Amino acid sequence: MLNLIKMNLYRMTHAVSTWVLAIVAVLYGLMQFGIMKIIMDDPFNIMEGMSEAMGLSEATAASVFTSIIRSSDFLIIAAIFIVLFSNAEQKCGFDKNIIGITKNKWKHTLARWISAVIGMTGLVVLAGGVALGASALFLNAFTAGSATMFLKSLGLSYVGLLAFSAVFFFFTTLFRSAAGGIVPSLIISLGILYLIENLMDLLVKKLISNPAVLPTDFFLDSQVMNFDFSSGTKACVILCVLCAGYIVAALGGSMLLQQKRDVK
Amino acid sequence: MDYILTTTELTKTYGKYNAANEVSIHVVRGGIYGLIGRNGAGKTTLMKMIGGLSHPSSGSFEIRGRNGETTEQMMPKVGILIEAPGLYPNMTAIQNLKTKAIALGIHDDKFLYGLLEEVGLSNTGKKKAKQFSLGMKQRLGIAMALVNKPELLILDEPINGLDPQGIAEMRDILHHLCNDKGITILISSHILDELSKVATQYGIIHEGKLLEEETKEELFSKCSERLELKTNDISRTLAVLNSMGFSKLEVKDDAISIYERLNEGGAITVALAKENIQTNEIAVKSEALEDYYFQLTGGKDNA
Repeated sequence: MLNLIKMNLYRMTHAVSTWVLAIVAVLYGLMQFGIMKIIMDDPFNIMEGMSEAMGLSEATAASVFTSIIRSSDFLIIAAIFIVLFSNAEQKCGFDKNIIGITKNKWKHTLARWISAVIGMTGLVVLAGGVALGASALFLNAFTAGSATMFLKSLGLSYVGLLAFSAVFFFFTTLFRSAAGGIVPSLIISLGILYLIENLMDLLVKKLISNPAVLPTDFFLDSQVMNFDFSSGTKACVILCVLCAGYIVAALGGSMLLQQKRDVK
Repeated sequence: MDYILTTTELTKTYGKYNAANEVSIHVVRGGIYGLIGRNGAGKTTLMKMIGGLSHPSSGSFEIRGRNGETTEQMMPKVGILIEAPGLYPNMTAIQNLKTKAIALGIHDDKFLYGLLEEVGLSNTGKKKAKQFSLGMKQRLGIAMALVNKPELLILDEPINGLDPQGIAEMRDILHHLCNDKGITILISSHILDELSKVATQYGIIHEGKLLEEETKEELFSKCSERLELKTNDISRTLAVLNSMGFSKLEVKDDAISIYERLNEGGAITVALAKENIQTNEIAVKSEALEDYYFQLTGGKDNA
């Protein structure tokens, strides 16, 4: 298993797409910083009210970092990375060299996802690190903020990102193509699914007065993207359980597909 | 016979279509087994099942006498090159080899460079796989299959699309791997002439079914020139032929095939007449490998 992860990391570092997306992540971090600087410093008083509207009432380490991880733009970068990386082995047929000679084929899937998560974490560190570093250096309103809040928001955002990565990974495994993986992943990242979920909520509310639960309560994007980090422990645990459920289901499905399906 | 691989009624079904239909082959250790068949005959399907890339619908196979669950323990001793070689186009030859080696826990660069030398790719340097010719890619594909030091090498159409020089180089590589390294090779092709230059055993597959399985000698004896003799008494005819010093004989159905001294048909007829044996037919016959194949598979219309 460890060897398979090492192999995946080796090929990751030799893939052009990895480096291109690393550059994109850095540029995205800078862009986010630029937007924050304009909003927070607001030298021309034209952004009044914008900071509150965008949830950037304060420029702490937690708010800067989570504004990166939880943005749909970064989710698109992550989706592209996950899909390209997890599909590359099959696209060039390299999987034929190794899958046949190993006993438990599902290990390949698990190792590929773990490696993809390591790569995605690298992109998070790059984008978040650049935005955080630039904010600390050049943003007048920046404060370190609470360390507990930083760890809490960062941890929960990261768990959400892990769940998204497992879902994107599953679609790529299911459709065995980059296109098949990227289309549903973008539907989620761009918020198209979120619109559908809200329509479903409206429908349920029309049918049932005061429903105990709504469809959005079970959708990953609704729960992760709209989570309030000042929520209590119970809400945090519910979010973690939901993410863990998605990870187990998506990864389990991917591993089962790998084990049962023939290699093309 | 020491078989490294045997399959027992191996079958792969896609819906109602049998891509491989109860195929039973017996691959002798240390030889080159040529799987002959036209495109779509079921060669790749069979090889994918043996190579662990595809699940058999029914039937089983044994590698070094191990079957069922224990077959999987033998899979690391199998090298596979199925269809096009699986290479990362943006990596060099050595980087591609290293990728597989890392997955297998092999950290011996000297061994990997040795593999490149064996397949004639030691001077490719920083050239990326996407810049390789088809022949180079095929040779790198073989090197990839050798990374896990296999005892059985499965090569699916490795000479397909190669120019004459590429084919000759591939032939040399196969002979080297089999004769010098003792690797058993299962190779498929629809180019009969080329396969006949390397294989020591043959399996002829058509529409998913194995039609014949023969050694090189058996196949070539069917395809070489011979005197075919039909008489009214086979056993006495054999005695006469033995007394005349003929030893390369084969009796099949009601005919005797003689593989030597083909110009002595007249003398044989006279000798038989003296013993009151009636000669019904005597003629020199020959069959090209290709004709034999067409005869088995139902004619040229099927090719």
